[in-house]
Amino acid sequence: MAARGGRALLALCGALAACGWLLGAGALEPGAPAAGVRRRRRLQQEDGISFEYHRYPELREALVAVWLQCTAVARIYTVGRSVEGRELLVIELSDRPGVHEPGEPEFKYIGNMHGNEAVGRELLIFLAQYLCNEYQKGNETIVKLIHSTRIHIMPSLNPDGFEKAASQPGELKDWFVGRSNAQGIDLNRNFPDLDRIVYVNEKEGGPNNHLLKNLKKIVDQNTKLAPETKAVIHWIMDIPFVLSANLHGGDLVANYPYDETRSGSAHEYSSCPDDAIFQSLARAYSSFNPPMSDPNRPPCRKNDDDSSFIDGTTNGAAWYSVPGGMQDFNYLSSNCFEITVELSCEKFPPEESLRSYWEDNKNSLVRYLEQIHRGVKGFVRDLQGNPIANATISVEGIDHDVTSAKDGDYWRLLVPGNYKLTASAPGYLATTKKVAVPYSPAVGVDFELESFSERKEEEKEELMEWWKMMSETLNF
Amino acid sequence: MGFLWTGTWILVLVLQSSPAQAFPKPGGGQENKPGESNYSFVDNLNLLKAITEKEKIEKERQSIRSSPYDNKLNVEDVDSTKNRRLIDDYDSTKSGLNHKFQDDPDGLHQLDGTPLTAEDIVQKIATRIYEENDRGVFDKIVSKLLNLGLITESQAHILEDEVAEVLQKLISKEANTYEEEPNKPTSVTESQAGKIPEKVTPVAAIQDGFTNGQNDETVSNTLTLTNGLERRTKIYNEDNFEELQYFPNFYALLKSIDSEKEAKEKETLITIMKTLIDFVKMMVKYGTISPEEGVSYLENLDETIALQTKNKLEKNVTDNKSKLFPAPSEKSHEETDSTKEEAAKMEKEYGTLKDSTKDDNPRGKTDEPKGKTEAYLEAIRKNIEWLKKHNKKGNKEDYDLSKMRDFINQQADAYVEKGILDKEEANAIKRIYSSL
Repeated sequence: MAARGGRALLALCGALAACGWLLGAGALEPGAPAAGVRRRRRLQQEDGISFEYHRYPELREALVAVWLQCTAVARIYTVGRSVEGRELLVIELSDRPGVHEPGEPEFKYIGNMHGNEAVGRELLIFLAQYLCNEYQKGNETIVKLIHSTRIHIMPSLNPDGFEKAASQPGELKDWFVGRSNAQGIDLNRNFPDLDRIVYVNEKEGGPNNHLLKNLKKIVDQNTKLAPETKAVIHWIMDIPFVLSANLHGGDLVANYPYDETRSGSAHEYSSCPDDAIFQSLARAYSSFNPPMSDPNRPPCRKNDDDSSFIDGTTNGAAWYSVPGGMQDFNYLSSNCFEITVELSCEKFPPEESLRSYWEDNKNSLVRYLEQIHRGVKGFVRDLQGNPIANATISVEGIDHDVTSAKDGDYWRLLVPGNYKLTASAPGYLATTKKVAVPYSPAVGVDFELESFSERKEEEKEELMEWWKMMSETLNF
Repeated sequence: MGFLWTGTWILVLVLQSSPAQAFPKPGGGQENKPGESNYSFVDNLNLLKAITEKEKIEKERQSIRSSPYDNKLNVEDVDSTKNRRLIDDYDSTKSGLNHKFQDDPDGLHQLDGTPLTAEDIVQKIATRIYEENDRGVFDKIVSKLLNLGLITESQAHILEDEVAEVLQKLISKEANTYEEEPNKPTSVTESQAGKIPEKVTPVAAIQDGFTNGQNDETVSNTLTLTNGLERRTKIYNEDNFEELQYFPNFYALLKSIDSEKEAKEKETLITIMKTLIDFVKMMVKYGTISPEEGVSYLENLDETIALQTKNKLEKNVTDNKSKLFPAPSEKSHEETDSTKEEAAKMEKEYGTLKDSTKDDNPRGKTDEPKGKTEAYLEAIRKNIEWLKKHNKKGNKEDYDLSKMRDFINQQADAYVEKGILDKEEANAIKRIYSSL
C-alpha cells in the first residue's frame, strides 16, 4: 500500500510536471473534441457543402466533386508539389476554364499558407462548392462573375503544415505547430524582400514595379526558397493576375501593403503608392464581414494592440512589420494587387464553428471578387491592331505602373476620380488619355501606339508632301 | 533553493556509500512513467526555452505575449542556473562538495563525518521534501541522477519507494510541525545558492509581492497571488484540512471517506491535492501562469475532482490520478483553456487520446470510399441535369453526351497524370459516364 501510494505520488508529480510544462507553453488554442467526424458528415451538409475540416485526401475529393458537378466552368490543376509531395491544388472557375480570354481579368485566392491557420483553407473549399452551386442555380451575380473573370482558388499553399497541425490531439492545436512548411520555413517570410529594394529606389531613383529582372533565373537559382514559394512565384509569372487575397488566421482584419516598415521599426504606417485603392479593397472585404468590421469588437486577446485597425482594415506595417511576405511580393514583382485577410482569432477553431465562419465570410469573399471589375482596363495595340505585350501603363500621380499581358490587355484598379493614363512601350511613342473613373464597373480605354519607325515614315511623307507643294508653287 | 541543496547532499551520500549498501531493500517493478515524465519535464523546460528563443525571432504576437514570455525566460534562467549548479555539484572532482556538507548545520553526517545509514538518508530526503514543500524537486533530482548514470533505474525506484513511504508518514504525523522548519533550510540555501536569489529577483521584480511567509523565503515577500489563492495558502499553512475547505467538493469527498481501510486513500488524496496546489503556486511564482489562471485552474480542478474521484474511489489510486484530468468542460475563457490542454496532455500521457480530426480510421476506411463515390455520383448527376437544361436542342442531346464522355475521359486521364485523380477514381468516373 505504501509502495502503491509512493508510485501514485510520483506518477502524480510526473503528471504535474507535464502540466507545468503545458501551462507554461503559452497561448494554446482549444480545438474541438471532434469525435465522429465521419458520422457528422451527413448531418453538417448543406447543399453539398460539408462544414468539416478537410485533410489532404478530403480536400482533393472536394475539389474533384466540384469539378464533376461543374465541368463546364471548372478545372483543377496543380502549381507544384509541397516538400512532402502533396499537390498544391487549384480549382479554376470561368466560362472557358483553362483559357485566358483576352480582356478577362484573373483573380486568385490563396489559403492556409500557414498550415495551422485553418479557416481560410476550409472557406475556400466551401467557396468553390458555393460558386458551382450558385452558378447552376442561375444566381446572376455569380454567373456574371464566372463569365467575366477567371477565378483561381488554392485552398492550401501549405498542405504539409496543415497535416501537422491537424494531427495535434484534441485541444492542443496551437499557435505554432504546423505553421511552417515541412522544412520549417515560414512561407510568408520566404519571398524575396522587394520592399527593401523599392524603399531604396524611392530615395535614389529606380523602378517602382516588376522589380525582379530575370525573375525566373533568380527564382530557380535561389536555394533558400521553399518549393511552395517557388511554385507560387512561377504561378504569378505565368498568369497575369490582377487581384488576389491571401487568407490567414490569428486575428480578424483585412491587411494591405506595405507590410514592411520603411524605417525598419516594429510598426509604422508604410503606405504604398496605391494606398487609396488598397484601403478601398480591404474595406470591400471587411465591410461585409460583421465581426471584422464591428467597431465595438474587443481585440482577439486582451493585450492585443489593434490601434492600427480602422473599419476592420489595417496597413500591414502599421500593425507590425513583415519582411519577405507574399502580399508585397505580388505588388512589387507583378501587376497583382494582393491583400492579406485574417479570418479568425483562433488559428484552428473547433469544427463546429466552421459553418458560422462561412456565414460571416461568404458575402465578403464574393464582394471582394467583384472588386476586380473596377478602375480602367483595355488593350494596348499598334496601329495595325496587333497587341503590344509588356507595354507600360502609368497613371499620373501614382508612382506604380502596370504592364500589358500577352494579348496586349491590361487592367488598372483605381478609386473613383479623374486620371491621365499613359501607355508606352520600347520603340513606340507614348500616348496619354484622360479618363473619368467611377466606383465600378471598369472603364474601357484602349491605346493605339505608333512606333518610331512609323512616325519616321509619316514625317518623311509629310516632308515630301510639303516639298511637292512648295515645288509646284514655286515652280521648281 | 531548497531542492538544489537537496540535490547536493543526495549526490554526496550516493557517492559516499556504495550503491548496493545504500538500498538494502530490493526494488519492485515500477512503472516508468513518473521517472520518464520528470525526465521529459526537464527536457521540456529546455524545449520551452528553445521555443521561447524561436519565438523571439518569430514575429507573431510578440507584444501581447511579452509578459508571460519574459517570465518564461526568467524561469529558464532560474532553472538553467539550477541545472548547471546540479551538474557542477555532481562533478565529484570538484572540491567544493566537501565544503558544502561541512557547512550543514542539520548534521547530514554523523558528528564523526561518517555517512548516514540508508534509512537516515531516506528520512532526510523525505523530511527535506516535506519541509521544502516541493515534491517535484525529488523527481527532478532522481532523473538527473539517472541521466548522469550515477544510479540505476532500480535504485531510483527503491529510493522513490523509500522516500514516499516516509513522506506519507510525515504527512500524517508531522503536518503541523513543518511550518517551523523552513527558516533553517532556506537560510542555509541562501548562503549556498548564491546565484539563485539574484536570478530570482528579476522574476520577483516583474510580479507583485507574494506574501507567503511560511514557504520559500528566498522567493517570498515578492510575489502575490490574487486574494483567493493567498487566502487559501495562508490557511493551508495552519491546518491540513482547513485549507482544503476552499475546495468544497474535494473536502466533502474527504469527509466521506471514513472507513479505516480507505484511510490511506484519503491520505494520498490529500497529498495529491496539496502537491497540486504547491505546483500551481510554483507556476505562478515563476510567472508561467498568471495568478488568475492559477486560481481558476484550481477552481476547475475542484469541480472535476468531485466528479471523477467519486466514481473512482473504489478503484486503485493510480486510476484516480489519471481521471483527475478528464475531458474538459465547455468553457471558453483563456484560463479554462489551459486546463483543457492539460487534460488533453494527461490523457495522451496515459495513452487514451486519439487524433481528434480523424476518427476511427479502420472503421472509417469502409465508409470513406462509399462517401466519396456517393459524392462523385451526386456531383455527376447534378452536372448532367444542368447540361440537359442548358442544351435543350432535341437530338443534339445525345451528341452532347458522347462529346461529354470523351471530354471527361480525356480530362480524367490528364488528371491522373498530374496526380489530381487516382487511377481508380478516374476509372469509376469514366464508368459512370459510359453508363449514362
